[in-house]
Amino acid sequence: MRFPRGDRPRPFFVTGDAMHTISINNVQFSYGAQTILDGIDLEVLAGEFICLLGPSGCGKSTLLRLLAGLAKPTLGSIALDGAPITAPGLDRGVVFQDYSLFPWMTTGQNVVLALEQAFPGKPKNEQRETAQAYLEMVGLDNVFHKLPGALSGGMRQRAAIARAFAINSPVLLMDEPFGALDAITRARLQDLLLQLWQQNKGERKTVIFVTHDVEEAILLASRVVVMGLNPGSVRGVFDVSIPRPRVRQELYGTPEFIALRDRLIGELHADVLDELDEGRTVRTAGEGI
Amino acid sequence: MNSLLTTANLLFVVLLGTLLWPVPGTEKPYHLVALVTAIEAIYLLRGIFFRGKSSSSGAGDVAAIVYLLLLSWHLATARFEVLDKMLFPQPEAVLALFVAELPDMLKGLVNSLILLVSGYLLALGTAVPLGLLVGWRGRLFRAVNPFTKVLGPIPPIVYIPYAIALLPSFRAASIFVIFIGAFWPIFINTVHGVFNIPKGLIDSARVLNLREPTLLVRVILPGAMPSICTGATLALVFSLVLLTAAELIGANSGIGWYVKNFADFADYQRVIVGILFISIVVTAITWGTERLERRLLRWRN
Repeated sequence: MRFPRGDRPRPFFVTGDAMHTISINNVQFSYGAQTILDGIDLEVLAGEFICLLGPSGCGKSTLLRLLAGLAKPTLGSIALDGAPITAPGLDRGVVFQDYSLFPWMTTGQNVVLALEQAFPGKPKNEQRETAQAYLEMVGLDNVFHKLPGALSGGMRQRAAIARAFAINSPVLLMDEPFGALDAITRARLQDLLLQLWQQNKGERKTVIFVTHDVEEAILLASRVVVMGLNPGSVRGVFDVSIPRPRVRQELYGTPEFIALRDRLIGELHADVLDELDEGRTVRTAGEGI
Repeated sequence: MNSLLTTANLLFVVLLGTLLWPVPGTEKPYHLVALVTAIEAIYLLRGIFFRGKSSSSGAGDVAAIVYLLLLSWHLATARFEVLDKMLFPQPEAVLALFVAELPDMLKGLVNSLILLVSGYLLALGTAVPLGLLVGWRGRLFRAVNPFTKVLGPIPPIVYIPYAIALLPSFRAASIFVIFIGAFWPIFINTVHGVFNIPKGLIDSARVLNLREPTLLVRVILPGAMPSICTGATLALVFSLVLLTAAELIGANSGIGWYVKNFADFADYQRVIVGILFISIVVTAITWGTERLERRLLRWRN
């Protein structure tokens, strides 16, 4: 259960020909005898917003764990700015669907802990002020001294996003962060995330966002990576050329949106139909988790 | 007015009447009257300060049961002398003796608590850090687990005679036995507490790149805390049992010794006084640890 010490933080912005922030190279991942991911190839440019879209069990969360350095690929390699990812690091902020915050620390302490990791040696009150500023940035003005358990699910995810932005990592990995929220909260947080991501045009974060929601993927992504089942693999990569800022209410009626949505849904369904053709049993959503 | 007509209040009046009823040739049981009045006062004050809450807390029913027990005890001994006089002393005599013996018992309590606290804190101070490490590092766990399985279930009471023979003083022997008895429940529960930390929280800690000492102190320790508290409570009960057991065997002071000593002289009045005193001490300790536990695990609600 022990994990190796993380590498020294990589330089956040590499000059020169660092076109591809993340290169995933023929990655396979097996768990025991079961192959979960196979032949994954993907190049992600700096500042891109990538959505990994796929049905439950396609390994999209596993791929994110590999990117986070929480697991290592069985075959192939993943590199960040040319250096292979072997361990978790503060150059990648991660937001999980659940358990992002430690329930025994106040929300503020949670952010401060991350800041102490990212910027060690800064005076404590400065860290606290920074934490408070990031919490306010996501619309949480009065939660510094509250325990995460006293917050709503949406507020907890806001705080997790604040923490991820506070450590100022160039890469942001998000594993179905809004999956457990109600529709209205989810929409608000999608808007918040886009707004934060677009704020600094020069130094936009590279975001990899896992979801099974087609509309969420189109709203957020600059490219959608559709993943398929058995074993998990990339079925197709779709550019989302809809201009930003994207306004939800206008977006959903446009022919562009509808066409892309239908294509993505078709791609997801084709995967399930393939399964039926091959006589394999289709796993129900959530099975095997 | 209606709120005063409870079972508890009615029983209080009956009990008080019985106690104060003049019986020729006997003194009035003033200690008992004082105790009963104090209980009634607490009960009534609760009703005033926690209006609405007291009815649901069952305070009235508890008071009623206490009155009923005292009434039966008093009637069966002092009034009608149904029970054997030597084995069942009167409540008034026990109470009076309790007050008289209190200074001696408190002195004994200090001696007992020194043993209890030393052994228990020694166990807490070693079992928690070791449990965290063993729970966290898989290899260490696999190496240690067989020993835990074999040594953990040995009832610590069996160590008492050997410890007394082995160690130079009774004090050292008792501390050792209490230490052993408290160590295993805390250790085993700490290890399991680490195992039961949600995987997602460990992942969260890992992506923050926490160094191992920070991780153990700020994530693993609080994450395992619910289980550690369970183990620590269990260990405290064990410690108390072992303390009294050790004192029954080899001490010359202390609360367990007090009971044993007077039982040897067939002074059952003092035996009952000792048992009552121990029950009060144990209740106080339990109350304190429950408060502490609630504070430590505040984040769970």
